[in-house]
Amino acid sequence: MCGGLSAFAMEYVWEEVTLTFSRVPMFPFFDIAHYLVSVMTLRQQHGALAVAWQNPLVSWFSAMMYCFGGGILSAILLGEAPVKFLENNTNVLLASSIWYIVFYCPYDIVSECYRFPPVKLLATGMKEVTRTWKIVGGITHASSNYTDAWMVLIAVGWARGAGSNAIINLEQFLRGTWKPETSKSLKMSYPVKISLVGAVLFTLQHAGKLPMEKHSLMFCYTFFIVVTKIAMMLTESESSPLTPFEIMLGRMLFGFWQSDTSSVPCKSSFNGTGTRSQHYSTNVETKRRHNKKTE
Amino acid sequence: MELLSALSLGELALSFSRVPLFPVFDLSYFIVSILYLKYEPGAVELSRRSPVASWICAMLYCFGSYILADLLLGEAPIDYFSNNSSVLLASAVWYMIFFCPMNLFYKCISVLPVKLIFVAMKEVVRVRKIAVGIHHAHHHYHHGWFIMIATGWVKGSGVALMSNFEQLLRGVWKPETNEILHMSFPTKASLYGAILFTLQQTRWLPISKANLIFFCTLFMVSCKVFLTATHSHASPFDTIEGFICPVLFGSAWGDHGDHHHDDHGSSQDAHGGPSSFHAPQPLAKSKEELNEGSRKRKAKKAE
Repeated sequence: MCGGLSAFAMEYVWEEVTLTFSRVPMFPFFDIAHYLVSVMTLRQQHGALAVAWQNPLVSWFSAMMYCFGGGILSAILLGEAPVKFLENNTNVLLASSIWYIVFYCPYDIVSECYRFPPVKLLATGMKEVTRTWKIVGGITHASSNYTDAWMVLIAVGWARGAGSNAIINLEQFLRGTWKPETSKSLKMSYPVKISLVGAVLFTLQHAGKLPMEKHSLMFCYTFFIVVTKIAMMLTESESSPLTPFEIMLGRMLFGFWQSDTSSVPCKSSFNGTGTRSQHYSTNVETKRRHNKKTE
Repeated sequence: MELLSALSLGELALSFSRVPLFPVFDLSYFIVSILYLKYEPGAVELSRRSPVASWICAMLYCFGSYILADLLLGEAPIDYFSNNSSVLLASAVWYMIFFCPMNLFYKCISVLPVKLIFVAMKEVVRVRKIAVGIHHAHHHYHHGWFIMIATGWVKGSGVALMSNFEQLLRGVWKPETNEILHMSFPTKASLYGAILFTLQQTRWLPISKANLIFFCTLFMVSCKVFLTATHSHASPFDTIEGFICPVLFGSAWGDHGDHHHDDHGSSQDAHGGPSSFHAPQPLAKSKEELNEGSRKRKAKKAE
């Protein structure tokens, strides 16, 4: 009797907590954290400070791509106006002010403060929270037109969560500073992978295949990605908790047994310094294909 | 048309134009498309390095026509991906071609007779896509002839027209050449087919759509099967273009050729690059003919 009551109370508390969590508005604090982290990432790019001092408009444009890239990519995919993000004046003004104070603050106060570890950890944690909201928002938005199309929902959720990478590449390509060999799609970074996992999970939940409420899934997923990101930042390691599953799946499905065990699939930089043995065996295979083609 | 009705080809053409494309014809389209992806240099290595990028490239190869047509008509480029079954079938074909143990699937489909059957079925799908694309564009733009031609063209050529951007995804950027500058046979055939279907749609060509689909399919199947069987990259249009283009667009070795024969002689490359800026060359000219022409001009100048 007591056990039943306490279990019921626990469940009630869990429901309340998750529901309240899922109703937290992103504006302004989480949005500020997201814009701050994005603009600081831009600032840490090679040559960004010089561009900001010579050509502020280009720098502002790059900052907008970094901040709103996911939304832009999902709008392009869905056939909506890519400039739709400019509709929300408040957010654009907030992002622009953060860009201004990061790049042009006297004595670089803001970037110095950001280097202070607790500030960085807090901002990154809050940015991961916004990632969940973006994925969920993307899937909800796409499901108004495509209710049963899982691929479309996953693609839009993924684009919203991690699309800024692709948009950043496009913007650097237009500026002439991008090299195709270092494309992020070839070397999928951790946020891209985790957004894909999240998009798949939330699509399954949306289609009713996952026996969880949306707010519970949001809470669990956010908790997971925030804890993982902070742990990765504190230990300064590149491998995420997903890495063992990746290696196992990679070996089973995609033939990663050719790589040596020290390199992590999809993470090591394959800019011509990759595993020699893999290159050799795939080169042999490619040669055989070419020979067959020219027969 | 009386001959056609006497041979009851009309009914045959009508039933042919109504054959459902999914799953058999679509399967062969995916197989041939992803086979061409596998032939690209570096594709197999890409599939080992980053399966996601390889999968996206495979999807572009299979559904590139729908994506481009949607972009042109202002619809969501991702719209065709709502057909889960097609996407799953294409993904299964991609997986089997790239990751089958001991490459069994690839070896089975590379056998020439089997490959020719798939190539033939792919051409059936190509012609049908052109027809559907023009019908779709006609629905939005009743009098937009050029819009219909453009939509039909991108539906027929598919990923070829966006090859620069698809290669970008694989980490290759070759801006010095693109499909419009150096058109391959399928792209050119899709353009001519789109023109024919547009003329039919706007009632300038007195032939029914089913008959036009039938004849175009016969032509494309025979040409492509012959070209694949003989491993040649020539085109049946070369001879005709060799006659028409000098008349319509000026001979490459006419007035323009005299001013720029220095350029021809000095910087001759495989694409005949400099000449294309100055005068539209007949595309039938091969590299040997161009070199011979430049040598003749040099000899004349030296006299």
